[in-house]
Amino acid sequence: MRILVVEDNDLVADAITLGLSTAGFAVDRSATAEAAASALATEHFDLLVVDVGLPGEDGLSLVRRLRGRGATQPVLILTARDTLAIKVEALNLGADDFLLKPFEQDELVARCRALIRRANLYAGEQVNLGRMRLDVAGRMLRIDESPVELTGREWLVLECLALNAGRVVSKERLQQAIASFDQALTPNAVEVYISRVRAKVGEAAVIRTVRGLGYRLDEPRN
Amino acid sequence: MNRATESAPSVQRRLLWFLLPPLALLMLAGVYANYRAATAFVESAYDQRLGDAAVSLAGSLIRDGQRLRVDPSVVPATAHRADHLVSLRYAIVTASGELLAGSREVPAASASLTTNPTFADAIVGGERLRVASYRVDLNRDTVVISVAESASQRAVPGRFILASTWLMDFIQLDVTLLIVWLGVYFALKPLLSLRRQIEAGSPRELNHLDSTTVPAEVKPLVEALNLLFDVLAEAARSQRRFVADTAHQLRTPIAGLLGNLELLMKEPGAAALRPRLEALHAGMENLARSANQLLALARADPSTSFAEQFDSVDLRALAGRMVESNVDRALHAGLDLGVEAAAVAVRGNVRLLEDLLGNLVDNAIHYTPGGGHVTVRAGLRDGRPFLEVEDDGPGIPEDQRGRVRERFYRIPGTAGHGCGLGLAIVSEIAEAHGAQFTLESGAAGRGTRARLLFQSPVNPIQV
Repeated sequence: MRILVVEDNDLVADAITLGLSTAGFAVDRSATAEAAASALATEHFDLLVVDVGLPGEDGLSLVRRLRGRGATQPVLILTARDTLAIKVEALNLGADDFLLKPFEQDELVARCRALIRRANLYAGEQVNLGRMRLDVAGRMLRIDESPVELTGREWLVLECLALNAGRVVSKERLQQAIASFDQALTPNAVEVYISRVRAKVGEAAVIRTVRGLGYRLDEPRN
Repeated sequence: MNRATESAPSVQRRLLWFLLPPLALLMLAGVYANYRAATAFVESAYDQRLGDAAVSLAGSLIRDGQRLRVDPSVVPATAHRADHLVSLRYAIVTASGELLAGSREVPAASASLTTNPTFADAIVGGERLRVASYRVDLNRDTVVISVAESASQRAVPGRFILASTWLMDFIQLDVTLLIVWLGVYFALKPLLSLRRQIEAGSPRELNHLDSTTVPAEVKPLVEALNLLFDVLAEAARSQRRFVADTAHQLRTPIAGLLGNLELLMKEPGAAALRPRLEALHAGMENLARSANQLLALARADPSTSFAEQFDSVDLRALAGRMVESNVDRALHAGLDLGVEAAAVAVRGNVRLLEDLLGNLVDNAIHYTPGGGHVTVRAGLRDGRPFLEVEDDGPGIPEDQRGRVRERFYRIPGTAGHGCGLGLAIVSEIAEAHGAQFTLESGAAGRGTRARLLFQSPVNPIQV
């Protein structure tokens, strides 16, 4: 997976480049929007990490130009300004996620993975999540290459969590995801399926309960 | 400020001070003049009658051979004025000094008399007298006739005149003073309403004063004030812009430093340096938090346009977002972070309320020891929406609960966390939303419960 980082501050660009390459991505750097545009014209990248405050043409304008050209790669916007206006504008322009400086390296890596995962899902490809590999089209879960048997409802719960890995998925949303299979759902049905999925994925993933909100699936930290 | 208004010259007091004493003096002079005019008129009427009495005495003189004498049947020992039972004393004296009738005690009004009565005041035996004298020439003889009347008899009508003049003039004086006082009061009323207008506005809002209703004399002053307000507001705005820009500018280098430091800590050879790197990392995070707090404070200021962008804010969604974005920090600190929220919306600014809740959650996570619980709640309490963060940490001592809201205040003995602005920001944002901010002990007297109680809910559909 190849990522283009567009950031003019060397210290920040260094950290991002090093952090993402340590996480297993191939990373290229551009210090200006113009340099990024010419790199994108000739080469393919799976994800763009774009800083808003660039010298010359700013990051938002770059995203607008790319989307205008029909580019579909996911874009993660970095910014030091957290005004609602910038956030709204970035998402309207077609940016996929938004990260405020300063951020944690782990957070950045997790967001990049999630963006690439989702893009791949829409492309109908397999989704890798740590030791797990989900074949979305074939509804098949493999852990360390060995297949794991899941019922239809268990698969729906895992799919919903895995596609939103690193984000909290509300209980209501999980309930809706499995509702079509079982008309008479008891309120604790979701909890039942969660505990079953937990047992089946074992230590390949962590499914956390966030009290009052829902559940979050994370790759286990080493 | 109260002392200043007490000692400062008051236009109302000055106007009254300059108007009332001269007016009162003028009135007193008027009373005196009236009294003098009235008594002079009465005096001349009395003198006229005293003169008449003297003239009528001449009718009693009879020529007896070579001598003049007085017919005693005509003149009693004392004469009576025709219209009064007032006793008059008299003396009829010849040129040679012979007393023909009356009393020796009555002096002549003057040494050189004419045939018309002359009037004078005299004191005889300690008694004040008014005397009228005139000369009667009868062939060879000259007789002086003097009539005297006690001055005290005249004083009675004088006192009556004085009393009635005083009464009338004092009523007039009182009415005049009342009119002056009312006039001054109503003339200065626009100034009082201007003062109320100034006092009603928050000193930090620097709103323009209405210059259309103030008197012409004060208008330039009000316009100058409005101009000054503009300059001040612009200065405050640029100061806040500066703070916000600085905070923003700090974020990028902090991001670079933090990122590199985190990578450094993962290096295989970093194990030996880990405690020092972690201290460095904590310091850097503190710096980042301070920059964020300064930014939030600049944002919370009521005079920024940001504070005016109010909309319907879903408190349950806000609580959910805030918990989700802090789950990692809570996990890292070994805390159970959760939310208990019912659907409720208030009128507010979502960015400011995020700052507010973010600070409360941040504090709760920071100060609650591992194994503890932090719960964000939103809902309705007695019909009023509330937002609260409760933890089961060490809590805030009761005597510190007021002080912790002050800017840059930190409870003595606590470790550095941000720059002590967190609860000051919460207080300001609460105030901007007309919400009540309370700090109390959590359930079972443990920990801290920071609660924001809003005035009234809004229907979330009416956005």
